[in-house]
Amino acid sequence: MRALSPHARTVLAVLLDAGVQWSHGYELAQLADVKSGTIYPLLIRLEAQGYLEAEWQQPAEGGRPPRHAYRLTASGVQLARANPPGPTAAPTVRRWEAII
Amino acid sequence: MSAGLRRRVTDLACRALQAILPPSLQSWGWAVRCEAASIPDDTKALLFTLDSLCGLMPRAVASHLLYPFASLIGDGAPLSEGSSIMNIFHATMRRPRALGIASAIGAVVLGIVYMAIAGAPMRYLGINAGALVIGLTMLALLGRPVAAGQRWTGVAIIAIAGMLLATAFLGSEVEGAARWVKLGGLAIQPSLILLPVMLVAFCRTRSLPATAGIVAAAAAIALQPDRAMAGMLALCLATLAVIRRDRHVVVALTASVASFAATLAHADTLPAVPYVDQILYSSFNVHAGAGLAVLGGSALLLVPAIVGWSRDADNRATYAVFGAVWFAAIMAAALGNYPTPIVGYGGSAIIGYALSLLALPKLAGASTGVGFGTVGTTDRSPSDHHLLVALA
Repeated sequence: MRALSPHARTVLAVLLDAGVQWSHGYELAQLADVKSGTIYPLLIRLEAQGYLEAEWQQPAEGGRPPRHAYRLTASGVQLARANPPGPTAAPTVRRWEAII
Repeated sequence: MSAGLRRRVTDLACRALQAILPPSLQSWGWAVRCEAASIPDDTKALLFTLDSLCGLMPRAVASHLLYPFASLIGDGAPLSEGSSIMNIFHATMRRPRALGIASAIGAVVLGIVYMAIAGAPMRYLGINAGALVIGLTMLALLGRPVAAGQRWTGVAIIAIAGMLLATAFLGSEVEGAARWVKLGGLAIQPSLILLPVMLVAFCRTRSLPATAGIVAAAAAIALQPDRAMAGMLALCLATLAVIRRDRHVVVALTASVASFAATLAHADTLPAVPYVDQILYSSFNVHAGAGLAVLGGSALLLVPAIVGWSRDADNRATYAVFGAVWFAAIMAAALGNYPTPIVGYGGSAIIGYALSLLALPKLAGASTGVGFGTVGTTDRSPSDHHLLVALA
């Protein structure tokens, strides 16, 4: 398996923290500070690879739509533990990246 | 933007996402839609949806592009590690549109090889590659199976004729020829994009509006004037007249011959443009490899027509017209200062080739369909639906 991106590691960490609790797409995007355009392709890939399970949940309040919820499978938990988020790049490096 | 409008745009974006996602990813489209509906803030919901649309669109487009190849081993299953190259080869031979996509990719790559050897600016290479992406994306999006009425083909052909007339009257003029439209700093040639698909569409569905559109297009080409496109028009309709002659074809052929004659009456004074015109011969002066790349790429354009003709007797007229379109374009480039399709610099022919693939059946030898009971003459096959929708 190729190396995971920083975004993937962050999302896995958030899901790992959630444990057996289900998470939703928007909530995940906010907690991981990742855009939805990044998070959905990532969730699709993790689910296809068996690291993530997904289910439709009925709303607690009437009149609201059902929501798609996600949590790590056992192999997903192993993957998340083996790939913790990396250290944040130093500000100076980020400045250079911006200039280049 | 009002809150109501933001919600409507959000809903529109969700619908667009669901429209482009393949069936295997439809549940994810619903997931985004439901998630957006659960976000109380209208602006955040809109941004969330638009970002999801942007993020998932490349995957959706890739799925559509890979679908013909993924289904090669049967039942629409994705390619497995055990699938052999020969299986893919034989299966591709039975799928004219997939073969056309492979030919387009091969020709563009060979054209890029030629330009790289000849020292063309990098921007040219990028534009050709970008045009391929645009063309195949349009093919993927327009090729979706949606039922539509035959009458829309005639309307679409008339609309295309209108665009060609508008180009003749309002387009950018160079040395007395008005064939181009400026778009985002680039000059595109609408006739090279639209005429191939228009001609193959006419081959599949002939009616009074479609014939009127072809006559108007012939007039537009004569006005531009464009000898290469007029020759393409005349050659295709002559080919069609030999295989499937009816009154619509005879009228259209007469108009196209008159158009071609009118373009012959005008002196064509446009000089050759580097990396665009006269490269079928000049490429060998650059390097033998460059010359072979140009010739090989040009030959690839005709492969779907040749293979389809030999393997799919039900749709021979379609393959003949498709082959005549691109043979005429290649011949025009060989005989005069006209763009060398696909292998030379320029995105219009690349997009035009990809769009013309809409007219090819997805599966060679598929039984002809029934059920279009409208005015006109129609050669039917399952892929008619795609073409009609694409043109409409």
